Amino acid sequence: MASSTSGSSSSSKVVKIRSSDNENFEVEEAAAARSETIKKLLEDVGDDADVIPLPNVDAKTLVKVMEWCKKHMDDVDELNKEEMKTWDAEFVDMDQSCLYNVLLAANFLNIKELLDQLTQKVADMIKGKSPEEIRATFNIKNDFTPEEEAEIRKQNAWAFE
Amino acid sequence: MAEWSQLPNELLQEIANRLESPFYLLRFRSVCSSWRFAVTPRPSRLTSRFPFLPNDGISENTWGFHLSKHGIYLVSSSETGTETSSDLWLIKIEENEPGRMHLLNPLSRSQITPLPEDFPKVFDFSNCRVRELGQAYVLHYVQFRPSVNALNDAGHLYMEKVVFMSLGSNGDDFALLTIHVSGKLVMFKSGDKRWTVIHDMPSLYDDVIIYKGSFYAVDYTGRAVLVGLSSNVSLVANPEFGGDKKFLVESSGELLMVDMYLSVVPEPNLDDDEDYQHSQFMGDKTVKFKVFKLDRERKKWVKMKNLGNRVLFLSDDCTFSTSAFDLYGCKNCIFFTDNFFYISGEDDEIFKSRAIGVYDLENGSIAPLADYPEYSKLFWPPPDWHKLMSSGVSASLRTSKLCVEFNRGSGLLSVHFGGVTLKHATGSILAVNPQIRRASLIRQGQGILMN
Repeated sequence: MASSTSGSSSSSKVVKIRSSDNENFEVEEAAAARSETIKKLLEDVGDDADVIPLPNVDAKTLVKVMEWCKKHMDDVDELNKEEMKTWDAEFVDMDQSCLYNVLLAANFLNIKELLDQLTQKVADMIKGKSPEEIRATFNIKNDFTPEEEAEIRKQNAWAFE
Repeated sequence: MAEWSQLPNELLQEIANRLESPFYLLRFRSVCSSWRFAVTPRPSRLTSRFPFLPNDGISENTWGFHLSKHGIYLVSSSETGTETSSDLWLIKIEENEPGRMHLLNPLSRSQITPLPEDFPKVFDFSNCRVRELGQAYVLHYVQFRPSVNALNDAGHLYMEKVVFMSLGSNGDDFALLTIHVSGKLVMFKSGDKRWTVIHDMPSLYDDVIIYKGSFYAVDYTGRAVLVGLSSNVSLVANPEFGGDKKFLVESSGELLMVDMYLSVVPEPNLDDDEDYQHSQFMGDKTVKFKVFKLDRERKKWVKMKNLGNRVLFLSDDCTFSTSAFDLYGCKNCIFFTDNFFYISGEDDEIFKSRAIGVYDLENGSIAPLADYPEYSKLFWPPPDWHKLMSSGVSASLRTSKLCVEFNRGSGLLSVHFGGVTLKHATGSILAVNPQIRRASLIRQGQGILMN
């Protein structure tokens, strides 16, 4: 992953983080601190921090999350808002298993804005679909009891007068 | 491996909060048990009664209003395989009490009645794709004796458009905004004893909308304002003079103003009583539209040459838009209600009432819906698949061709069903019990051999 996306990156501080599958990454502090969880850990350990372990996030997912954090490291001015919107839309457009992992990671790492974008994406994938199509999209098994099934049928059926 | 059913409850709730339509939430809760129990259904908010609008001069024997909600949905069957535009159906549904619905003309308030004989008494949406395109709210007078021959139920409906905003997260608090008969804006908030008239009126208001969580209104000159909940009004767009009636529409996150141009048609012959009856319908003819996009910074409406892949729908109580992608090719046009296109007898008898017109921005043409057979199918009659959505008919039976063969020699009854052949030794049960539970039991093979 290329490290310089923004102008002042060369001079900024770098922190080390480690994925659940023991891969180490060097990330600019400003990017890593988009995660409230990492930010808190950094504050707790101070400058003595060697490597921050993230036991819930694998390397593949961490790369993806840090890609987002880098892009969102600096405040966006009005002019670049549209460009950022397009970038975000492309970012969340990933296959459902990747989306699942990034969603859980964003939750664990406590990155509010990313979490908002991801839950919105999932909601958009649900909208308009029939229950069976939603199950197919997310690979979910129908585990309702016959009684629940009957209740659901009833709620999905409307009597017209 | 992604286990979506195992998502933490807080994430499931976060996702569900973004499903703004109650219908989407119903679908969400129909997926699996963990999704169902992570989220509670939202309570219906329409039980309250509202005070009467002041000085409306319509009737004194009413006690106030009650509010009903109309949902506008684009429906298709999720079982028909390849989709074509003829599978799509645009409907407006009025829910009076939970589960008891009325089907309405999507662009007016008139009920489609009687429903065709083959229309399911209980319509099962389980196997439908349903996209909510808009919501309309209608105020009904309480304690008004409805007149028998009222035109489109005008007798017990307050005719101006009403917009409804939910306040707070518990769903109990709300605000309503509408246009008073004087042309002024009036607001009502839950808990208030009366409606508040907003005394800001350089000219008569034409339309109200909720856009990005706030009330907006446009007046006859095209001047648009944001209306705060404390009845404060701030300018968002300066006037844009031109046509005769302004509509506000949201499209792709932008606030649009559509300017409708009317032209007066010659008076019909007043000696003929029947013609006179129609004259009030035939007075104005819509001749063209102009569409503008809000430029917030410059407080200005900017004219749009075309709508790209968007389609707009304008009616008296609701405006909405959708993308051509949803409508399979119909694009860059405006559907609107038009009194002039009202010609009794020409429309389908059931889908009578006020007619719909189509304006094509591409070439500026304007014509009744009936001139566009492809678009017309979107409204009426319902696509063929609707007959199969009767509650109780199972999904698998619906999609599969069921075929029964009896072999005299062997005495075996065989049932072919979705490409699978089922055989039954003794013969009598299966075939035609369409209950879902039964069908699945059969598939699990009680007394049945599969080959």
